[in-house]
Amino acid sequence: MYGWIWRHLPGNAWVRALISLVLALAVVYVLFQYVFPWAEPLLPFNDVTVDGQ
Amino acid sequence: MARARNRIAGAVSVFGELLITAGVLMGLFVVYSLWWTNVLADREAGRQGDRVRDSWAAEGPAAGPGALDTGEGIGFLHVPAMGGGEVLVRKGTTPEILNDGVAGYYTDPLASALPKDPQGNFTLAAHRDGHGAKFHNIHKLRDGDAIVFETRDTWFVYKVYKTLPETSKYNTEVLRPVPKESGRTAPGRYITLTTCTPVYTSDYRYIVWGELERTEKVDADRTPPEELRAS
Repeated sequence: MYGWIWRHLPGNAWVRALISLVLALAVVYVLFQYVFPWAEPLLPFNDVTVDGQ
Repeated sequence: MARARNRIAGAVSVFGELLITAGVLMGLFVVYSLWWTNVLADREAGRQGDRVRDSWAAEGPAAGPGALDTGEGIGFLHVPAMGGGEVLVRKGTTPEILNDGVAGYYTDPLASALPKDPQGNFTLAAHRDGHGAKFHNIHKLRDGDAIVFETRDTWFVYKVYKTLPETSKYNTEVLRPVPKESGRTAPGRYITLTTCTPVYTSDYRYIVWGELERTEKVDADRTPPEELRAS
């Protein structure tokens, strides 16, 4: 999977490493900005109130 | 034969990479929950707290008494035994409010009283972990510890008299104006702190009750009451 991505990146090893780093950072950004805030209320770690529901 | 073996090896390696990816994802979620949400929440709480203090300063000491600004925040909670400085208190306990790193007073399922009310229960909730984790050290509170609530012109000094380390999240009785579960039977001026327990999960709720001991007028220098000066 990751090998497949690596083989399809352009340039030499350094350029590929750089692109990989940028891709990884982009994924982390999307996770922190969109995916985790969406997932968090669905997981039972952070309910602090007492309520009847 | 060799091709079939290659295909199996490929499938195994993809499966392995998926497992690694899942592990990294979960690790990142922990980083997000326990660190990044604190960064965001502390920043936001600081900003909102500054705005409340600015509006207090702008109104000056001449403004009428009991002018609680319920829009942005009504005051600051100081709990020396929990450490960590002041906690802004806003109206409401929805995730949107609490995720800003503040404590919220209940409007639902039982509406909270306000400290200035002649009697009732001032009921608060805040996060134990992540999003500012303002009540993280709630388990360090002991009977007799001070909980001080600061408004524009009054210090409300409460003393802890009862803790309930574990209760069901459905137990809304703890929010009653007279919290019977704490052992009190007569109306009074109570404060109730609620958060989740055990740490890092929210299977149960942790409750701390306090009772108003006295109030102090805020002077021109905003000199804190002696309970806060010691720390």
